Amino acid sequence: MSAYQGLLNGKPGEKMFLLGNEAIARGVLEAGVAVATTYPGTPSSEVGDVLYEISEKAGLKFEFSVNEKVAMESAFAASLSGLKSFVFMKHVGLNVASDVLMSISYTGVRGPMVIMTADDPSMFSSQNEQDNRHYGHFAHVPVIEPSNPQEAKDFLKVAFEISEMEGLPVIFRTTTRISHMRGSVTLSTIEPPNQNGLFPKDGRSFVSLPSNAYHFKEELLSKMGRLGKTDFSGTLNRTEGDRSSRIGFISSGEAYNVLMDVLNKHQVNVEVLKLGITNPIPDAIVKDFLSRHGNVIIVEEVDPIIESDVRAIADLGFPEVSIHGKMDGLIPMSHETSPNTLESSLSKVLGYEIKAGDLYRSKEELPPRPPVLCPGCPHRATYFAVKRAVKMLKIEDPIYSSDIGCYSLGNYEPFSEADIMLDMGSSIGVGSGFTKATDQRIISFIGDSTFFHAGIPALVNAVNNNSRMLVVIMDNDVTAMTGRQPNPGTPIALTTGRSRNLSIENIVKSLGIENVKTVDPYNLKDTLGAIMDGLRADGVSVVVARRECAILRDNRMRKEGEEVKYHVIPEKCSSCFNCVENFACPALSVSNGKVTIDPVLCDGCGVCSQPYVCPFRAIEVTTNEN
Amino acid sequence: MRTNILLAGVGGQGVITLGMIISQAAMEQGEKVLMSEIHGLAQRGGSVTVDVRIGDFHAPIIPDGEVDITIGMEPLETKRALARASMGSRVVMSTEKMVPVSLSIRHEEYPDLQDIVSSISGNFRLRTIDAVSIAENLGNYKAANIALLGFALGTGWLPISVDSVRRQIEKTFSKKALEINMKALEEGLERGRSAQVETMEH
Ligand code: SF4
Ligand code: SF4
Repeated sequence: MSAYQGLLNGKPGEKMFLLGNEAIARGVLEAGVAVATTYPGTPSSEVGDVLYEISEKAGLKFEFSVNEKVAMESAFAASLSGLKSFVFMKHVGLNVASDVLMSISYTGVRGPMVIMTADDPSMFSSQNEQDNRHYGHFAHVPVIEPSNPQEAKDFLKVAFEISEMEGLPVIFRTTTRISHMRGSVTLSTIEPPNQNGLFPKDGRSFVSLPSNAYHFKEELLSKMGRLGKTDFSGTLNRTEGDRSSRIGFISSGEAYNVLMDVLNKHQVNVEVLKLGITNPIPDAIVKDFLSRHGNVIIVEEVDPIIESDVRAIADLGFPEVSIHGKMDGLIPMSHETSPNTLESSLSKVLGYEIKAGDLYRSKEELPPRPPVLCPGCPHRATYFAVKRAVKMLKIEDPIYSSDIGCYSLGNYEPFSEADIMLDMGSSIGVGSGFTKATDQRIISFIGDSTFFHAGIPALVNAVNNNSRMLVVIMDNDVTAMTGRQPNPGTPIALTTGRSRNLSIENIVKSLGIENVKTVDPYNLKDTLGAIMDGLRADGVSVVVARRECAILRDNRMRKEGEEVKYHVIPEKCSSCFNCVENFACPALSVSNGKVTIDPVLCDGCGVCSQPYVCPFRAIEVTTNEN
Repeated sequence: MRTNILLAGVGGQGVITLGMIISQAAMEQGEKVLMSEIHGLAQRGGSVTVDVRIGDFHAPIIPDGEVDITIGMEPLETKRALARASMGSRVVMSTEKMVPVSLSIRHEEYPDLQDIVSSISGNFRLRTIDAVSIAENLGNYKAANIALLGFALGTGWLPISVDSVRRQIEKTFSKKALEINMKALEEGLERGRSAQVETMEH
């Protein structure tokens, strides 16, 4: 596959239509990064997909790390060896890595190091919309915010320069809209990376013992103080519009885009200060701006971070300027900046009228189409078997403790097998916690990648504390939800051969767990049996439900030129609807009172043909004769 | 020129590919283009929308009420997406249904296609085509998105030239898939040129 080859081959001056994340990957090459690490997470994942594919040719060392904390530690080590390093993750990943961040801001870095966080305002694919710019203030590190793919690429280079200048790690903050926006990007020259790392014993300490940390802190604050005095006009910050306008705007990131569209639509000519560096806030530029405008409105996503800083500056020197934004309720505190909401928030202040939209407001409720597990997804079979086992053993009130991955979708009907789901690895930690609080049976669901990421310590804890619980490890070979990236359990055949394949069973058994079974979820009988055994046992029992992700299987079968489909024999279908009601593969639907299988959607897994799903054996494999 | 195009469908139907081809064709014509794709939780089978904005915009999302044309790969998803469009705006839609699991679980059937068509055509300028059948007849149902694109071009409602679309298709597909997609484009075009507003196209 060479989907991303063009990003490596593109010539300086050439224009490409790039996703924000693709532009960032190109920016990594143009900045001459030597080592890049990540743990995949939407909306940051495509950066890794690109780098994984082209790293070898680009002379870049790339690592899918086991989790974000380790990724950041890896990148930090490269930086200490004098190399340019880049670590990237989704916003909540930075929580996992924050323990590292909070210390490396103190120790400082040697080679330039940039940390990308892809935030998710409005929570398109996340559990919260935390604004990771807070980490900039929290750790005292610079924060850079691009507004489009071109800036994403170009600002990355500046971020490395700032890191180099002050010896500080720099946070590069995108949001879903920036990472997943496509636009035209003009390429620059690729800088070949310097791979001659050396950790010099030059007396500089990176040991955060209290005695050192005490001094590190003062150094850190003086670096940030210096940066706050640099204005970065022309590279990161700029003003546009009428300098004498009564109202001025300060904005950044995607919020700036939405603001500009609203201003242009209503032909409002006011001065806008666009900030590309939001921590430390460029003091002189902001003061200059406050001196020109009686009213300043701050538009940003998600929390009022620039606004707090600007209010502080105004309090100290510009009491006559009135500041507006989220803190006085002009702009909503939650969710991304929606164009319609911003347009109405600003209509009074800017004095334009919004033409009442004649939006189509149909009264009828449309049947929803929530996200579903793919046709042929092995998780569907596992959830089906667990539910059946619980019923057969007459277990009342089981607690389903779920985790982060495609299998989170087990939360939806007909399975409803998720009572709690918080963060990576929480299925086992929370599950084991429940055993201290209640006698209800606990079933934890965790995927292979999540197990490696943060499940192992929780499992150690559960065993060590004699919890009684069933842990179902849903192993589909890859990190499926983010686009099938490899993890430590991925078979070598599916990787570039640069990593090794670790055995989940060996890890589990090494903890002294005796009740460990591996099943193929496509075989419902075996899976059901193993789950019932696990539920009957004392202590921690583990079922590894192993079957490749259906999309991988699709790709493999297509290559092998094989195509299997199933169909319903109408005469045998009794319209009991067990399959649609309790198994709910998206390829199954009801038409004219009978179940049918859409041959385009059917993945040929055959699970629905097993008697647990179709007791009347009305579903059969399609042969040429049919 | 400023045009906001909203694409809607189900994950796996090639909605993003459609957006890429339209965007790059417009770019080739010298236009500024932004496209926004949202990757939700599901790899396949969920609702998908893609916003394409041609012209001097900053933000990649189309404000509600400012959609100029909606291109729908699936009737229910088209209707759902139209909550963002102003009444009277243009809609092209492929009529092949994909039953959402939320219905099947309750043994309910897909709403009557004719009802969906008439409720949309009562409020919008709608043209429909059975793009999936065209693609299937050509030998690959996956070319339905390109048949629909041809249809949309044929109506004259898209501000891009057929030639630049052809060139993008050549860059996107190869060999057999290219051949089928080109035929799908031509057949769609043909139907689009003769299609009437508010009628079913068979
Ligand atoms: S991507 Fe793979 S694991 Fe995820 S729902 Fe689809 S088949 Fe299942
Ligand atoms: S064989 Fe049955 S369960 Fe498997 S994908 Fe086809 S319809 Fe769905």
